[in-house]
Amino acid sequence: MSMADRDTIMAYLDGELDAEARRAVEADNAAMAEIAALQRQADAIRALYDPAGAEPLPARLSPHRLALLHNRRHRQGLLRVAMVVAVLGIGVAAGWLLRPLPAPASLYEHLIADAVSAHTIYTAENRHAVEVPGSEGEHLSAWLSSKLATELPLPDLSKEGFAFLGGRLLPAPALSGGRAAQLMYEDARGERLTLYLTPAAGVDGPEFELVRLGGDNALYWADARITCTIVGPQPAERLQALAGAIFPQLSPVPASAPAYREL
Amino acid sequence: MVDFLDELEACVPALRRYARALTRNIDHADDLVQDCLERAISRRGLFRPRGPLRPWLFAILTNLHRNDRRSARRQGAPLSLDAVPDPAVPPPQPGHMALAELARAIETLPLDQKEALLLVTLEGLAYAEAAAILDIPLGTLMSRLGRARAALRGLTGAPAEPHLRTVK
Repeated sequence: MSMADRDTIMAYLDGELDAEARRAVEADNAAMAEIAALQRQADAIRALYDPAGAEPLPARLSPHRLALLHNRRHRQGLLRVAMVVAVLGIGVAAGWLLRPLPAPASLYEHLIADAVSAHTIYTAENRHAVEVPGSEGEHLSAWLSSKLATELPLPDLSKEGFAFLGGRLLPAPALSGGRAAQLMYEDARGERLTLYLTPAAGVDGPEFELVRLGGDNALYWADARITCTIVGPQPAERLQALAGAIFPQLSPVPASAPAYREL
Repeated sequence: MVDFLDELEACVPALRRYARALTRNIDHADDLVQDCLERAISRRGLFRPRGPLRPWLFAILTNLHRNDRRSARRQGAPLSLDAVPDPAVPPPQPGHMALAELARAIETLPLDQKEALLLVTLEGLAYAEAAAILDIPLGTLMSRLGRARAALRGLTGAPAEPHLRTVK
């Protein structure tokens, strides 16, 4: 006859045994004595702490009240988030309105400024207006093309009434290649026009821009290969008409539609 | 939503009883129950398991109590038995163990044994439920339960029978 083991005795006590197993345990007097002792222990534990469960519920332990408080806190949290967002929005708006003006110039704006400076300096020269005279056009074109590392045809503006005077190489520190070319033209009345040409690599700007700087107008144009800034004292409409003659000659691939939009 | 809160409310007495037995301190016990209820309310959408609420609540309370004990130990708060007031207990009656003695004996049990003992004996949970709440295998639960019961009998003047240790 074997005494039921501890786990069986506990399982009986805790109601974990099926009917057959229970009967087997009940046939064992020693086991039943043990179970009675453990039952007294369990009764005592319940006698000790059952009263705590029977006490009236304090208000702070009411789930309905706690849920109400939770929802209120939740709503306040949302409100706070909304306020933070609103304040941030005001800050951003204020920052935008108070942003430093003018915004820092971008690269193409530097190019326009440089084109105008070069125009101002060299058109004022008589004997040294150009480095290579227009009579050596073929050589000038090859030389500038090699220095700028891009094909640079010399636009012919004779139909527009301008004679080609020649050109020069200029430093352009803002550009990766560091070089720019200036071509100079002159009409019958002695009014001069310059084209300031650079490779387009790394220049991020609009395709066209017309700017008035001092007594001169500047018309900036760029395609994927080169940028060209036409600078002269001519009125804006005249520069635009000239641009219509210049750009197709600089950009050998003719665009099917007019290559520039209305300014 | 209202059903959930009603169900929660029905569990509060058992939670208080269990918390009181774990802590032996009315205020601390009710703090634990309140934390447990708040957690249940804020997590009901995400973490509420299918099925009855009770085991889930017991698991939350058990973990909250463990965390409290850990942080109390870190902060060096006294865990001395003398600092914990005894619950009001009726005077010992003939045929019963002295309840105060039993309460002190329970207090000396390791926490894992105490949790197992209270969930099964006081709360009447099935072994499988209690094991799931404590996140331990069934065998571990029974071994903790057995050790707790034997220790209590030793501490309350009714030593475990020798044959209990030599099983089979």
